[in-house]
Amino acid sequence: MTASTRVEDARCERPDLGPVLAVDGLQTHFVTKRGTVEAVRGVGFALDPGERLAIVGESGSGKSALALSILGLIEPPGKVVAGTVRLAGQNIEHLPDRAMQRIRGRRIALIYQDAMQALDPVKTIGSQLGEALRLHGGALSRKAARRRAIELLREVEVPKAAQRVDSYPHEYSGGMRQRVVIAMALANEPDVLIADEPTTALDVTTQAQVLGLLDRLVAERRTAVILITHNLALVAEFCDTIAVMYAGRLVEQTSTERLFAAPQHPYAQALLAAMLRSDRLETGPLPSIPGSPPDLVALPTGCAFRARCHVGRSLADCAAIDPPLAAVREEGRVACHHPSEART
Amino acid sequence: MRSSLRFFAMRLAGALSAVLGASIISFVVLRAVPSDPARLILGPHADADQVRALSRSLGLAQSLPEQYWHYISAFVQGDWGYSFTAGASVRSIILSRAGATVELALISFAWAFSAAVVLALLVTYRSRPLLDRIARGVAFAGLGLPQFWLGLLLLLVFSHTLGVFPGPEGRISPSINPPASVSGLYTIDTLLALQPATFFDALWHLALPSFCLSFFSFGFLFRLLRSSLLEMGREPFLLVVRGKGMSRWAAFSRHALPNSFLPTLTASALVFADLLGGSVLVETVFDWPGLGQFVVQSIQRLDYSVVQAFILLSAVAYVVVNLVIDGLYGILDPRIRLGRAQ
Amino acid sequence: MVGRGDRWDHRAMSGALPDAPQRPGSQEPRDEARAPRVGDGRGRAWPRRLLRTDRQIAAALSILGALVIMAVLGPTLWRHSPTATYLADSLAAPSTAHPMGTDSNGRDIFARFIRGAGISISAGATVVFVGALLGGALGLVAGLARGIVDSVAMRVMDALLAFPALILAMAITIGLGVGIVSACAGLVLSTIPWYARLIRSEVLRVSQLPFIEAARAVGAAPGRIARRHVVPHVMPTLLVQAAGAFGYSIVALAALGFIGVGAQIPTPEWGAMITDGLPYTLTGQWWISVCPGLGLMLLVVAANLLADRVRDVLDPRGGYAR
Repeated sequence: MTASTRVEDARCERPDLGPVLAVDGLQTHFVTKRGTVEAVRGVGFALDPGERLAIVGESGSGKSALALSILGLIEPPGKVVAGTVRLAGQNIEHLPDRAMQRIRGRRIALIYQDAMQALDPVKTIGSQLGEALRLHGGALSRKAARRRAIELLREVEVPKAAQRVDSYPHEYSGGMRQRVVIAMALANEPDVLIADEPTTALDVTTQAQVLGLLDRLVAERRTAVILITHNLALVAEFCDTIAVMYAGRLVEQTSTERLFAAPQHPYAQALLAAMLRSDRLETGPLPSIPGSPPDLVALPTGCAFRARCHVGRSLADCAAIDPPLAAVREEGRVACHHPSEART
Repeated sequence: MRSSLRFFAMRLAGALSAVLGASIISFVVLRAVPSDPARLILGPHADADQVRALSRSLGLAQSLPEQYWHYISAFVQGDWGYSFTAGASVRSIILSRAGATVELALISFAWAFSAAVVLALLVTYRSRPLLDRIARGVAFAGLGLPQFWLGLLLLLVFSHTLGVFPGPEGRISPSINPPASVSGLYTIDTLLALQPATFFDALWHLALPSFCLSFFSFGFLFRLLRSSLLEMGREPFLLVVRGKGMSRWAAFSRHALPNSFLPTLTASALVFADLLGGSVLVETVFDWPGLGQFVVQSIQRLDYSVVQAFILLSAVAYVVVNLVIDGLYGILDPRIRLGRAQ
Repeated sequence: MVGRGDRWDHRAMSGALPDAPQRPGSQEPRDEARAPRVGDGRGRAWPRRLLRTDRQIAAALSILGALVIMAVLGPTLWRHSPTATYLADSLAAPSTAHPMGTDSNGRDIFARFIRGAGISISAGATVVFVGALLGGALGLVAGLARGIVDSVAMRVMDALLAFPALILAMAITIGLGVGIVSACAGLVLSTIPWYARLIRSEVLRVSQLPFIEAARAVGAAPGRIARRHVVPHVMPTLLVQAAGAFGYSIVALAALGFIGVGAQIPTPEWGAMITDGLPYTLTGQWWISVCPGLGLMLLVVAANLLADRVRDVLDPRGGYAR
């Protein structure tokens, strides 16, 4: 279980209520012509109110599929084949779509990775924000929705919100669009926010601004956040907990400080080693991880990272058994037979 | 606001220059290239006096620019020539026959459009491999089948052999009186005149020719809509809309469909061109008393006055349709309407 | 920021794992299983492999091949003449002597069918070849020369495009004098703007590519740049458009024959043959019109199947203009 590192914070007033979102044994498969792609292979974690969890991994490690599985937005040929998703204790995994529609956007909201493409190009910003409000706002009138949309735009610091509300997405810059997407996701004060690569499409300065904004807004609302990214630098500033995902599984999960200080899983170590750090700039070429991620259609037996791992490449136990995600001391969990040995 | 005005002004100027160019081309092709345009127009059966009279009224003795001016000013004033075989002015013939062609084209478009939209929605909203295969096959055939031959087959099967639809006897059964002409469209006029039996008779006569004429347009629209809807299905904003809690159908109908109509709209000018060109062929097969049939009859009687007017008129109509479509596109797509404002 | 992130971030899986929901068949019309990729078939074996793996191309080519062989060998092998009339034998139903029957003048429809295949294929190919050549050249010149040449050429193209294509072809045919050669000329002129506009925009696009800028920077002559760099780049586009126009040209030629401005009876052209049989179709002698139409349909469907595949293979960006 994840211990929220900010449990003592004032904004966590109700720690007794348990996790707001608990995912357990989630498996998602996609049936393709080549075979079944096991995109998510038994992922479990829990998220306390106000907690911020980062899920870090390469493209194709199953991060986005995980996000969509939680939201119940996996469409054929994909399917969630096993596992539970508990929202405040209630399993929402097998709910019909109609019931999920009341949860999506109101209790779990999504920030899509690419703000450039996240908005309907032929509808005004105001109507798209209003739509988010009206879908859950009971009998909210168009007028009231518009007023609220302007307020939301102000909150995400869009200048001249009252005029810009009637603009179309192409009239907004990338950063402004991402603000709109954030406003849209937070419109109904969700309990959980899933932010899928929220800043990848933006330049570095805008990234920082948008992230700062997101930080303030979720802090005010005590929204729990799952931040999906491959950008470790982003995680360091923003999240309490990090889960490292590899080939559809979580391989290490621990607090941000612990992961940066002492990563246990060889993959997490490699990820950190490949990270660009200013204190190492002059020490020659950056290390990269040899090899490429395994084919999720034909996974090898044993540990999925074995082929690229400099610890377990030739070890018998790594070849035979896929290590489960198990607690290592008190600080976190790691899925490795030989945690931390690679560190030299 | 100013930018959208400029957008429309530019389009209008483009359309005007296209019409001007088209009139020059039709002048060159039909007046300047033939050695004796008057003889061409009147055909081999006219006597020398008639040819001389027409030469004079066409101003064939004048220089080419003068002739062109003559040609275009007569056209603009509605003087489109005189058909000797029909014994009437071309304008009156065209006006009296336009209704039949317009009705056939409208019904065909309605068929093609609704079938294309419904089928494209069915095969893209959920996976329906069998229906998809069939619809794609039909659409593909529609793009390739010669319409005039398809009409013949339809007549052979549904009229001659099965007898479920009328043969090539025009817009209405010979025993029934046509309705009083208000709009020129029998389906509307019969309803206005409260003659349900005649209405159904007119519809019954429309069935085969409109199906035949709609075949190409259906194929074209279906392929376009299907691929743009599939493309839309991959658009991230649909996922975002679903993430807001919108139902799958609402996301599809309120966001995917309007967006995928845009490319279809641009392409529908081509549908118009095909309906116009196709009507020439299909009306002949079904003995449909419209413009197209008359054009073909005039060609066969070597009476080209009607044909000349029809050619330039269809260019004008085509340009106008393109202009309207551009305008609609500008209104519907904010990226075009406001694109240059920033 | 993850250093070297890109090196491992966009690796193999990014294609296999749908990040966004995808429906089956969403790859259509460029289905990976059916569309042969250009890349994996380098070397000599690829045409044969293409035939074996792609049933659509195989079907299209075998129909086309059969019709071409029939058109070439048929007239010498088949005993009847396509134009000789035997009034005693008029309107005979299909039989062993006349597999497709005879028309109102007792001409053997099968002999006419065979000759008609030759006419349609050769006239269609000529129209496409000449149209692509002239239109492509015009587009190339306009795109390279820019300025006044470009704008004059494009105004003329706009004027030609102001007509529905078939009606323009009809007008030109009438102006030149009814007949199959005029019909071909009409079709060429009415299709030239398709190629010219397309190639011009391709030339404009290609001219801005870095390698052309580089060639210009090292001082390569404009003629050499056009020949060595621009032409090879716009060729696939021209081919795709030409392939698409082949089926259209054949139908349009038959349509012109059908409305009476193209080939004239007794020329055994399929469109004119259909008109010729029109009055008899509903009185029982269906074969006069139905048989040539059948040939027309086969030919056009094969041509369009081929064009679809050519487009899939050569033009990943899709769509030929019409």
